[in-house]
Amino acid sequence: MSAELKTRVQELIDSMINPAVAGHGGFVELIDVQDNRVYLQMGGGCQGCGAADVTLKSGIERLIKEEIPEIAEVLDTTDHASGANPYYTPGKA
Amino acid sequence: MPTSTSRLLLLLPTTTYRTEAFVDAASKLGVELVCASERPSALQELAPEALVTLDFRDPVASSETVARFARRRPIDAVVAVDDLTTVVAAAISERLGLKANSLSAARAARDKHTMRRCLASTGVPVPRFRLVKLADDPAALAEGVEYPCVLKPLMLSASRGVIRANDAREFVAAFRRITAILEDAVSAPADEVRQLLVEEFIPGREVALEGLLVGGTLHVLALFDKPDPLDGPFFEETLYVTPSRLPETGQDRIAAVTRDACSALGLTEGPIHAELRINDRGPFVLEVAARSIGGLCARTLRFGTGLSLEELILCHALGRPLESLERERRSAGVMMIPIPRAGRLTAVRGIEEAAAVDAIEEVAITMHPGQAVVPLPEGWQYLGFIFARGETPAAVEEALREAHTRLHFDIE
Repeated sequence: MSAELKTRVQELIDSMINPAVAGHGGFVELIDVQDNRVYLQMGGGCQGCGAADVTLKSGIERLIKEEIPEIAEVLDTTDHASGANPYYTPGKA
Repeated sequence: MPTSTSRLLLLLPTTTYRTEAFVDAASKLGVELVCASERPSALQELAPEALVTLDFRDPVASSETVARFARRRPIDAVVAVDDLTTVVAAAISERLGLKANSLSAARAARDKHTMRRCLASTGVPVPRFRLVKLADDPAALAEGVEYPCVLKPLMLSASRGVIRANDAREFVAAFRRITAILEDAVSAPADEVRQLLVEEFIPGREVALEGLLVGGTLHVLALFDKPDPLDGPFFEETLYVTPSRLPETGQDRIAAVTRDACSALGLTEGPIHAELRINDRGPFVLEVAARSIGGLCARTLRFGTGLSLEELILCHALGRPLESLERERRSAGVMMIPIPRAGRLTAVRGIEEAAAVDAIEEVAITMHPGQAVVPLPEGWQYLGFIFARGETPAAVEEALREAHTRLHFDIE
């Protein structure tokens, strides 16, 4: 079951998510699917980006859950502190 | 009554430090988020029901955009996370008929001159002030100023562009320096960019009050001491420690003056962050912002059974019952790690050593290797944040200072 889910999530990442985040110099890598939870890592412009949580929860998780309703949650395993080229950088206004 | 499927519009500037905390809070509370930023999300086209782009400088246009969106997907509440979005949040709330601060109150709190005028006219103690134009001759202005004074832009936050001047020569230098900063600041509307506030320097200790307004009543959530002296020439914020070590009577006066300030501005709902100076003449209000504490500093605060400040803010915005507004018993503090000099950050050393200091909970470095670092008054970022929790404010302060000495930033 997890293997099939993993394939479907991977297809979604390849066909929709990565082409979109590439516009901000980013990419998303599927690490695993376990117990209906998707584990991802973000890289490039997404790693350390101030908007990474929005991209993940309001974008990626939403899309994956819409397309694959069996998925309960999408979790980010990225080391954002090591991001060297984030698209949006937090700072005072 | 909103249910667990409430939908909330979160106004998130792309420069904010607060995204993770608010998104986590919404997730814990089961709130459906619609996130709006001033620049488009990479996934906006794929998730238009959850990701919106708004021009935060144009509250009217933003309100119309959200009103159209809300016809398809009703919005139960709007939350501004930073200074940049308080006015537009009020405008959208007004347009949607949601309970929130009025647009005029949000505008008054956002503009330092309007705020000073409003507070002074109702007897709230504020520094003496005057408004000057960038087009004016600074040398001529300098002749008519009492020293020491402080020059500050009307719309920037977190001490950016705020400079003390002790005499006419320093006044002219500060005026020119702020003019250059404002030419770079694209976030403020043109009229405000072309003016400066010049005000009396108030000696004394500085505190920050974090509060939540519910139906016009101010609930004090935390009072932070700022143990490092803030005497200029720049006003870099470093340490915040709560609870305050000021005598109870002094704390009561600070709370009372802040209540008066909120009332004078017409603020009635949601978080406020107030900054005050205290000396033997009493408390003076430097600022009351219609938003919560900035940076990652809210990580110092826990309420009731462990609720975060962001959870409290979202619950309040949605009209949900507030479990507890009482902060935990332990002392807590944060150091906003200052940028020592301009350059490019190449490495950060000593993070593990800093985190190993007793009472230190976390060392969060928020700038990345290779990033250009700019100190105040031009800068707009911190190197990171150190968090501590302990039995006493003194222990927390000591831990923060010790952890900071163990960190080394290589800047080329």
